[in-house]
Amino acid sequence: MNIELIHVSRSFGKNKAVDGVSLEAGPGVFGLLGPNGAGKTSLLRMLATVLPPSSGQLRLLDRDPRKPVPRREIRRRLGYLPQNLGYYPSFTVVEFVEYFALLKEMPSARVSKAVAVALERVDLGAKAKARLRTLSGGMLRRVGIAQAIVNDPELLLLDEPTAGLDPEQRVAFRTLMRDLGERSTVVVSTHLVEDVGAACTEVALMNAGQIVFRGTPEELTARGSDHGIGDAPLERGYSAVLSAARS
Amino acid sequence: MTVMATAVPGSARVPGPSRVLRLEIKRSVVPWVLPLLAALFYFDTIRTASGLPPVWTLRASAITDHMLNDFDAFGAGLAAWVGSREGRRKTGDLVAATPRAAWARQAAALGGTAFWLLLAFLAGVAVLYVQTGLQATWGGPPLWPVFVGVADVIVVTVFGFTCGTLFPGRFTAPLVAIAIFLLDFAGFHAALNVTAGSSTYGLLAPDTSPPPVDAGVFYHGLPDVPIAQVMFMGGITLALLGVLGLAPVLRKLASRGWPVRGTLVDGDGWWLRAIAVVLLAAGVAASWTAYSLAGTAKLTATGWEIPALHDAASDEPVPFVPDCTSGPDGFRVCVHPAFSGYLSDVAAALDPVAAEIAGLPGAPVRAEQVASVGTGPGGFEPSYIAGNPAVFDYNGEQVGDLFGGFRGIPAGAGPFWRAAFQQGLLDSFLAEPPHPAAAARTGLAPLGAAQQAVEDALMIAAGSQPPQDAVQGGQSGGPSQAQITAAARRFAALSPSARHAWLAAHLRALESGQITLGQLP
Repeated sequence: MNIELIHVSRSFGKNKAVDGVSLEAGPGVFGLLGPNGAGKTSLLRMLATVLPPSSGQLRLLDRDPRKPVPRREIRRRLGYLPQNLGYYPSFTVVEFVEYFALLKEMPSARVSKAVAVALERVDLGAKAKARLRTLSGGMLRRVGIAQAIVNDPELLLLDEPTAGLDPEQRVAFRTLMRDLGERSTVVVSTHLVEDVGAACTEVALMNAGQIVFRGTPEELTARGSDHGIGDAPLERGYSAVLSAARS
Repeated sequence: MTVMATAVPGSARVPGPSRVLRLEIKRSVVPWVLPLLAALFYFDTIRTASGLPPVWTLRASAITDHMLNDFDAFGAGLAAWVGSREGRRKTGDLVAATPRAAWARQAAALGGTAFWLLLAFLAGVAVLYVQTGLQATWGGPPLWPVFVGVADVIVVTVFGFTCGTLFPGRFTAPLVAIAIFLLDFAGFHAALNVTAGSSTYGLLAPDTSPPPVDAGVFYHGLPDVPIAQVMFMGGITLALLGVLGLAPVLRKLASRGWPVRGTLVDGDGWWLRAIAVVLLAAGVAASWTAYSLAGTAKLTATGWEIPALHDAASDEPVPFVPDCTSGPDGFRVCVHPAFSGYLSDVAAALDPVAAEIAGLPGAPVRAEQVASVGTGPGGFEPSYIAGNPAVFDYNGEQVGDLFGGFRGIPAGAGPFWRAAFQQGLLDSFLAEPPHPAAAARTGLAPLGAAQQAVEDALMIAAGSQPPQDAVQGGQSGGPSQAQITAAARRFAALSPSARHAWLAAHLRALESGQITLGQLP
């Protein structure tokens, strides 16, 4: 298993952002749904080894991220797109992705080609020499995805990856996620249930720091067949599960 | 254009850390500020240096006293801006999820900033030294001011970067720049106030009090203080690098109060933390040692000496062959070869008055430049006439009581400068006791009214306008300045042979103060 969480919790002061989450995931695209403040981003930050858990056990890529050497190994095989992508405006697109490829300790001889491939995959080849300050929000999001996938990660964590993308780009991105999910574990945190339905093989729904549903998108859809509100079947399943969890 | 076309040729062979450094250099913010630094360099450093005689050590003092002050505030501010980048640009999570240690990542960003600042600094030094090299007539470029400058640029860069890393806000950079500006000002003030009798810790400031005009000419510039300065700043740099390595730990301790032991093994690994602690300790030790050494400094004839760092060989005079000229009556004027450009000015000033007194008992046959630093008033070697045949020794800093030395020449080589130089020679010739060198070293005796009148007359005869000084004796009830001036004009109106004959007959009495104004012809 690439992800193993056993009763993992994370608190910020008195606020418990993640509350006793247990989860296992192997290769595939794993969708993480939930309302604002459900704990998705905190869970993703723990999976990214940025945030240590307050309690519980966490194993990533069969390694213990609490220890420096295994953590470094995990990070070499990790791709992470945070919810708010910070960037350096004076860098060009290719420099920014190259910078992160180098920070991920990719062999120097492989970097240039890997950067080129990553940029082509997000359709930014024509903008390779553009300064980041000149890009639109959607293009910046694609730059963020490119830096996340540049090292061909075994564990890819994407927090709201399709925010700001136009419909055409979202469709292309879903294809990319499915492609990546064939060999890697891709965890996608999103509000957009249609992304989950189109690309994810498995989905978890979080509420108040806990996982209140885990299954396939079809199973989530089925939960909303009798009741639930929303325009799409998956949305109705989402709202039905949340209503049940809150009641 | 394909993405592959944008790859830098040969970059595949460059190791990863070097490529990160290359990116940081390429995208550094420092080049944007270089035009401003260049303007400051021209208007402050170059223009100041151009007003100084082309003597290497003197011109090099512009590096520490002007150039560094201009560089420091900007350098520290820019470094703080880069150091705070991850906080300002909110890339903390993104970079924290990468395996390369934060310290290595920061070292690349710091290296990119330091590269440009050092390049700009060394380019400035090169311009200054090329300009001096084209004008200087003796000696070579001193390296210690460059070493001190490099240490200074590095320490302010690391300081700014560390502040930016620890306090990543948009106001950090300007605040750091202001703090460094004030620190420079305080250091300059401390350096100016260091005297033989004061605390000597101010010597650690890279600024120096303005050096004598002939610094490093007659004696080697002592490296004692620069060594202590480099050690002090190098120590601070090491300590700050250690703090930078411990920054994640310090941040966690500040935010969560975690147990120190547990925190030290967290993050990038215990061995990186251990290196950081060692750097911090070594840096503090080096700086403390330099601080202690500075406290033992003492002022000698060759400069500030720190006994533990002092090499006695530095005290040996630097050999040289003076540049001389022969004037009327065989009077020779000599200058140190470093001041060859001033030979004609000095000869033009001294030759006329030397001709007026030529052949008189004790009249100098030669004027020689000597080292300015000595035991006389103000720490300068006073000008005096000594030896047999008599030689007038003067220095480039001060002749007599009011000569401004070689500073500002040739722009300042006007009538006043000439008159002051002539007055210096005549003061030495007419003062009592007139010639013994030992007495002269403690300063010349003030001239009486008749001596002053004769001095003024000789200067008028030499074509100069004597300064309208009051009688240096200062006795109440003595002759007024008007009476002295009248007597001087009367004596100057005599024919040269008559003046010379009178002086030959009455010189001893005049020197010993036995001649009154009324007795002057």
